[in-house]
Amino acid sequence: MKNSTLIKGTAAIAVGAALLLGGGGTLAAWNAADAAAPGTISSGDLNVKASTGKWIDRAGNVINNIGAYRVVPGDKLTYTQDLTVTLIGDKMAANIVVSGANAANNFTPANVIITGPALKVGGAVVANPLTAISGTSTRTVTATTSFEFKATTSDRNDVNTSYNLGDVSYTLTQVVSAPGLADPTPQP
Amino acid sequence: MRTKRRLQAAALTALAVVLGLFTVQGTYALWSAAASASPGTITSASFDMALQAVNTGATTNMTLSDGKPATLTLSPTGTLGPGTSVYGGMVVSNNTNAGGQFNTAITASQPSVANLNGGALATYIIVKAKVAASPSECSTATAYTAIDTAGLVSPTVAKAGSTVFCFQVSLMSGTPSTVNGQPLKGQAVTIQTTLSARQLCGVPNVC
Repeated sequence: MKNSTLIKGTAAIAVGAALLLGGGGTLAAWNAADAAAPGTISSGDLNVKASTGKWIDRAGNVINNIGAYRVVPGDKLTYTQDLTVTLIGDKMAANIVVSGANAANNFTPANVIITGPALKVGGAVVANPLTAISGTSTRTVTATTSFEFKATTSDRNDVNTSYNLGDVSYTLTQVVSAPGLADPTPQP
Repeated sequence: MRTKRRLQAAALTALAVVLGLFTVQGTYALWSAAASASPGTITSASFDMALQAVNTGATTNMTLSDGKPATLTLSPTGTLGPGTSVYGGMVVSNNTNAGGQFNTAITASQPSVANLNGGALATYIIVKAKVAASPSECSTATAYTAIDTAGLVSPTVAKAGSTVFCFQVSLMSGTPSTVNGQPLKGQAVTIQTTLSARQLCGVPNVC
């Protein structure tokens, strides 16, 4: 009887040991796995393109060649140029400004009135910053400059005189106007 | 192996330092774009009124290149006798190079008659004028009237258009042959009138 017990106990131990030894495999805790696709990150866009401008007289008649046209007192000419502004981005905002340079006026200042260049969107003065509009990537901003040769110009003042309006620049600059954008300042 | 790893580490460190240095010297910038245009040059027109004497064909601009007013001699043909008239005239043309509308009106002032060489003929000279559509009308005696202080004003003369001012100079019918013992025959006078051209307003409620 004892031998049987002994034998059983031994067998159990051997089995247990065999089990331990039989670890040609390894013990492992629970683990589980899953997969994900984070997606694609795309950048927006910012751009400004100027179309060909045109001159019109007070009556709205187009002046095809301003270089050949000769103004007289009472004339008022307006230069209009459409800008296609592209703004794409969930946090996109940008300021658009216009500046002039290299103008040369030979008229008597008191005899002319120069206004602009000014920027409008849909007839209203541009309110910076412009932001991206859902559903459309572009909008039209209209730049306008006017020249009036005052009717009060007397005698033969300012005959055969010229006014070179010089160069007009349109600059569109992104601005930080929403939380979550890095402040573009130098980092040490 | 250790040496290689040390060198690699040193290179990475140096690169990081360089990047760091560049970062300090440069700035971060957001997007920007620009476009430009050149609207061009606006030039004013000339204000040229051309004059041509009917009898001689002599021409001049109303204003000379130096800005001074020109003088045009009309030279009426024929000689004057009591109760007779001579005629002259000038064509006035709007020669502007204006791009748009440029209407004008020309005014001839009341003429002045002055004796030459101490004569006495001027008192007996009558000057009348009229505006005509063509130079041939100047030698027709009809429609001449005296010019008052307001002057004689032409109809509107548009760009590239013209008008004619005709003048009739007459010697009174009862002109004596002598005045103060001096014979009037052979005496001369100068007759002057001033022309002025004015741009007419082409835009309602602006001028």
